[in-house]
Parts: sequence; C-alpha cells; structure tokens
Amino acid sequence: MKILSSIKYPLLKAIDISGLTFLSPVVRLCYGEEPSVQLKKIGQWIIIPVAAMLLFIFAWNAGSGLIKTKAGTLPTPGETADALGSINTFADREDLKKEAYNLTGEERLAALAVAEAQLASITPKVQETTDAVAQAKSEHEKSIAVVVEPLEKNYDELKEKFSQAQDKRKQELESVSETLVIGDKASYTKFLDLVKANESQTDAEKTELSSLKAAISDARNDKSKKVALALSMQTKVAEEKQFLEKQIEQLTKRNRSIMVESAETNISTTTEELYQLTGADAYKKARSIAKDESRLEKTIESKYAQPATLWYQVRRSILCVFTGFIIGAGIAIPIGILCGLNSTFMAAMTPFIAIFKPVSPIVWLPIALIIVGGFIPDPENNAVIQWLWKAPLIDIYKINPAFIASAITVALCSLWATLANTALGVASIDKDHMNVARVLKLGFWSRLFKIVIPSALPLIFAGLRISLGVGWMVLIAAELLSSSEGIGKFVWDQFNNGASDSFAKMMVVVFVVGFVGLILDRIMIVFQRLVSFEGSKAAI
Amino acid sequence: MSYLELKDVSVSFGPASNRTEVLSNLNLKVEENEFVAVIGFSGAGKSTLMSLLAGLQEPTNGEVLFKGKPIKGPGPDLGIMFQNYSLLPWLSVNDNVKLAVNKVFPELSKKEVDEKIHNYVEMVRLDHAGDKKPHELSGGMRQRASLARTLSLDPEVLLLDEPLSALDALTRSELQDQILNIWERDKRTVVMITNDVDEAVLMADRIVPLTMGPKATLADEFIVNMERPRDRHTLNDHPEFMRLKAEITRFMMNLNKEAKSLAKPVNTSMPDIAPKDFTVPSGRPQFSRNFKISASPSTPS
Repeated sequence: MKILSSIKYPLLKAIDISGLTFLSPVVRLCYGEEPSVQLKKIGQWIIIPVAAMLLFIFAWNAGSGLIKTKAGTLPTPGETADALGSINTFADREDLKKEAYNLTGEERLAALAVAEAQLASITPKVQETTDAVAQAKSEHEKSIAVVVEPLEKNYDELKEKFSQAQDKRKQELESVSETLVIGDKASYTKFLDLVKANESQTDAEKTELSSLKAAISDARNDKSKKVALALSMQTKVAEEKQFLEKQIEQLTKRNRSIMVESAETNISTTTEELYQLTGADAYKKARSIAKDESRLEKTIESKYAQPATLWYQVRRSILCVFTGFIIGAGIAIPIGILCGLNSTFMAAMTPFIAIFKPVSPIVWLPIALIIVGGFIPDPENNAVIQWLWKAPLIDIYKINPAFIASAITVALCSLWATLANTALGVASIDKDHMNVARVLKLGFWSRLFKIVIPSALPLIFAGLRISLGVGWMVLIAAELLSSSEGIGKFVWDQFNNGASDSFAKMMVVVFVVGFVGLILDRIMIVFQRLVSFEGSKAAI
Repeated sequence: MSYLELKDVSVSFGPASNRTEVLSNLNLKVEENEFVAVIGFSGAGKSTLMSLLAGLQEPTNGEVLFKGKPIKGPGPDLGIMFQNYSLLPWLSVNDNVKLAVNKVFPELSKKEVDEKIHNYVEMVRLDHAGDKKPHELSGGMRQRASLARTLSLDPEVLLLDEPLSALDALTRSELQDQILNIWERDKRTVVMITNDVDEAVLMADRIVPLTMGPKATLADEFIVNMERPRDRHTLNDHPEFMRLKAEITRFMMNLNKEAKSLAKPVNTSMPDIAPKDFTVPSGRPQFSRNFKISASPSTPS
C-alpha cells in the first residue's frame, strides 16, 4: 500500500512528461481522488474520442461502397483489417522460411515432419475449395440466367419490332418524297418535319434498346458474394499450400546445411578423382575443385534471401528518417546557433533560407539521386556501401544509393524548422543570463555550452520535433519515387500490383504511417519536456 | 586614491538627435571594506549605476576606476548580485554555484569544489534545497541562491542591486542579517542599492542619495555614525537612527516634490482622502505616509 501511494506522483509526472495526459484522470481515479471530477475528465478525454473513432469507422463502413473504382470499391474497415492480417501472415511465413533455411540436424527433420503433415492435411482442401468455387460460379450463372433470359428475349423482340417499324417509316417517307413539287415550299416544310419526327423516333428507340442492353450487362456482371468468398478461400488455401511446399524446399534441397553437405561430398569425391589424374586433366579437375570450394564458402556464409515484408519496410523507413533527421540536425543546429549569435551571419543566410525552404521534396530527390549516383556509381564495388552491408545491426537493411538519396531529401526538407527555432532560441537568450556569463568571464566555448545552448535547448527540441514530423511525411514520398525499400515503396508496389487486396493494403499503410508518426512525435515531446525549464519559450 | 571611484560619469541613451541623459555627472568614492548604500526612487537609474560599477556598461563620459585603473569589463572581482536573481533555470542551486566556483577556482579538485559549494550554500542556509531547480524555490530562496553564487566568486567588491526588494518583510530582515554577518565576518567592500531608508541606515556606513531622473546625479552623502553590530530590535529608539532616517526621508521627499513640480500636471480625478497626520512632536519634520515608520511615536490630530 505504501509503495502504491508513493508511486502516485512519479507516475503522474511520467504521464505528464510523455504527454499522455488522458491517462492521468484514470490514475487519479484509481487512487480515489475526487471520483466525480475524474469521471468527467475520463468521459471527455477517453470516452468521447473513442466514440468519435467508432462513429468514423461506422461512417467509413457505410460510405465505402459508394466510391466505386476500377480497383473495386473503397475497402471497408473489415477488409482493411483482413489486409493487415494477410500482411502479417506473409511476414510470419517469410520468417518461418528463413528459419527453415537455417535449421540443421534433428531440428530440421522435426520441422520437416510437421510441414509435411500440414501439407498432407491441406492438399485435399485445395480440391474442395476449387470445387466450391466452380459450384458457386455455376449457381451464380444460373441465377444470372434467370434474370438475363427474359431480358434478352425482350431485347430481341423489341429490336426486331423497331427495325421493322423503321423500315416501314422509311418507305412511307420515300413515297412522300416522290410527291414533292419543285417550287411548293410548304410541301417541303411538311416533308422536313416528317423526316425530323422520324429521326427523333428512331433515336428514342435506340435509347430504349441501349438501356435494356445496359440492364442485361449489369445483370451479367452482378458479383456474387458467395463466389467472392469461395474465391478468397481458394486463394488462401492455395497460398498456404504454396508456402508449405516452399518451406519443405527450404528444409530439404534448399536448406543451407544440406547444400553445404552435398557440396562437401562433391568436393571430396572430385578430390579423390584428382588423385588419379595427371597433366591437363589434373589441372582441369583442380580448377573445378577450387571453384567448388569458393562456392561452398559463399554457401556457408549465405543468408536466406528474404523478400521485404511491410514490417521490414517500416523499420527501414524509420532508419532512413532518422538518418536524414540526424544529417539535417547536424547542419541546422550549428548554422542556427551561428545565425542566433551573429546578425551578420544571419543576414548572409537569410536569402538561402528563404529560397530553399519552400522547395518540394519531389525536386530535391532527383537531384540527390543523381549526386549520390555520381559518388557511388557501383554499390557492389564501393567500400563504404560494402562496409554498411556488413556493419552490425544495419546490415539487413542493405543501405543503397536510393536510401542515401531519400535520407538527404529528408534532411534538406526538414532542417528548416530546426534552423529557424535554433536561431530564435539563441538570439532570444535572456540578457540577464548573458550578464552572468560576462561577470563570470566565460570564454566563447563555455559560454556556448554552459549558457547559450542550454538556454536555447527547449526551442531547439521544439524545432527538431517539427523537423522529424516533416521528415516522416517527406520520406514516404521520397521512397515512393526513388524505390528505396520502405513504406513508400510498399505503397507504390501495391498501386502497381492490382491484386484484389492491394487497395485494402494501401489503407493499412495509412494507419501504419500515422501510428509511427504519432510515436515519433511523442518521443520528441518527451525530449522537449525533459530539456524545458520554467519560462522557456514555445516553438514557432 | 579610492578603492572604487566614479569620476564625472554620465550615461546617455538614444540617438544624437533625441538623447536622454539618464545619469549626469556622478562622483563617488568608495573606500576599501566600506559598506555604501545608494538610495533612490524607482526609475532614477540605480540599476544603470550598478551596471557601471560592475563593468557591464560603459559610461558615455567620465570613467569608472577600480583600484585606480579604469574598469575594462565585468569580472568575478566585481561580484554583482542581480536584482532579478538571474539564476540559470536549467541548473540546480548547487550547479549554479558550481559554475561560478569552477570559473574562479579552476585549480580545485572535485572534492574541494563540492566542499566550497556546500560552504556557500550553507552560508545562505539553502543546504536543504541544493538540488532544487530555481523554479522550485520561493522568491527569498532564489534571492539567497543568487547571493550564494555571488559570494562564491569571492569578489573584492560586492555589488548588491536591490537584493531584497522582492521579498516580504520577514525574509527581508533575515537576509539583511545574513548579508551583514557575512560582511562583518570577512570584510569586503559593498555597494548596495536600495529604496528602503530603514535598510540603508541599518546596514550601511555611508548613504548616498540618487536624485530623481532624468539627469539623475548623486547628492551629498549621509554618514552613519553608529556602532556595529547594530541591533534591529533596539535600533528604532536609537537617537542617531531616528535623526538620520528623518533627515534622509525629508531629503528624499523634497526630491520627490521637486520632481513633481517639474513634471507636467496631469488632470486625473483623485479620490477625496485626507492624509493621516503623522506630525512628530518636538518640531520634527513631517513624514509622508509613503514611508512606514512604525516605531516613531505619533500623535493623532
């Protein structure tokens, strides 16, 4: 009990620093502090937002059917959630395949037994689902035929009727035209009116026919939910089967230990053969052994070539945004400090800030790509890139020129907020604090690090927070254009893919991007609050 | 040669076309180990005068001499205690003091530095709040922290710019005693700015009034010929204290009247309130109700 009450205020302070203030009435309520006030706050800051979210999901669900596109209607919340599920399944399966590739000995055999049993159990399902699809389709066709047949009959009859009537009217008009007398204008006028009436009659008949035709094609195209369900079941089962087959492959002939083993036996047999040879044949054999050995070394070191999953792309995007953010901050903070300290330098920098600040990431990116490409024409043979591919922790992200160009674009677009805020923070240092520095006779550097920077830190962090937000938005666009493996590329791939759930996967990305952005912002808020002090200035 | 000296100093602000002379023709000599109080009204330019003495500001004309040499700029020798604390808000009390100690005594070891910090923080009786940030402290505690920092510079001259103006009466008298104790223990030269006559008479050896601005200047000084230590409890009945206080107050009041007569009349309707008569018996001068003279006997009319 005592511990419980002693953590109350530290807990509330932590909530305050992290900016999760909606939690503080919950904590206070748990401690029994003014329940009515806390309940009111919970109602306002938890229940109402949740209700608003539910209302939004409801409206989205109701309204999504109204937006029809070539790629289907706008995905409903349910479809979006399913897409998230399929993204996760894909990621899990890729992890399993990777694991399978690395397994050895008894473990490999055990995993193989499990996978084979699963495959055996799923194989009959493939036929079942295929049958179900065929059945659903034939049922659907029947139900369509019931609607379509009378319509078609009606259409044919009408068409026949109209064409006969048109022929008849044509003959009548031709006979009238025979009776026309040159010079009798009235008869001509009458004839013209008759022709016009005939034309409009014909048009009306055409319209009727085409509307009937449209009704028929609508009825034919009517999508059956049953068929869609059967199809999705079929796809699911087929995907699982394909996965299991692949997994078994990774456990057997594509398994690293198996490949290594077979290569070793191969080498030892060829070595035995070599001992029996002399002359040119021996040279040939020895060369092939040398080649096989170097290949074996590569196999031992090899890793499963995992395709990018969304979560991998999210992590790579976060790495990229922080790379760009740190480059940007590394440029913006020193320049901002110089601008704040020296008005002449500020005057010199103003035109650059004014001109470059509004430049769109779409303009920076191609320039950055060309420049980075100029420095790194061949990543495979570039020492820095090769080092990055082997560096611990970041080796799996395969940092390439597109990644660097995206990070530079992020830096160029995001540094302005930090620069402006740093300059403001440094320029608006309390005169009293500078007087303290003068009385203490602090030198330039200790004045900078003991007075100027601590005093400007809250504003610097406010700027960094804005920069990180801007950088995150810019990055997605940059990745989309530069095909740097990340969230932006995921969206672009889905856009070009056109599978049945691509649209829903893009909707998933909306929430993923929003959620990651929210977390990045919260992290920066915590930092900003930690460096803030009483009376420190707010951001611009 | 005096220890600290102002020689025909004047300070002006603004462009040449519209120049305002804030301080005009100041002359002041402060001897070593002397406690001088400068007393003046708000806005007279007291803080400007203090900035001059601390070297934070250069005079427009004349010169400020310290040990016979012109002051080139601020430094730890001229330890100024700012009117608005000027503690660095991102540092704790100890760290604020540490900044000063590290600068003035760079050769000390970490342990010696900590001892010194503790020493000064204890001197102003803030040792229980050493780890607190300034915004967690009351006004009086901040003022004391500021004093500790100034003292830790080990300055040759202590310049106190209205150090106690923001405090309530109780804290104020406590801090007055602390400053006096510190001054009496290791003698230093002190220049203190104040707007409180009682405080000036209680603490100083010499009181120099600053006339009303603009063109404020230093008027003739009052010497406080009272033995130390002065006991604030019996002081109110001390004839010399009463004489000095009355004299200074009268002088300041006359300054005020003079300034008011020079100022343009403002037509503001004032409430019809008659001032209470504070006439002191035996033909002593009249006091304005602006000044609290609690112990002086008064007779209601």
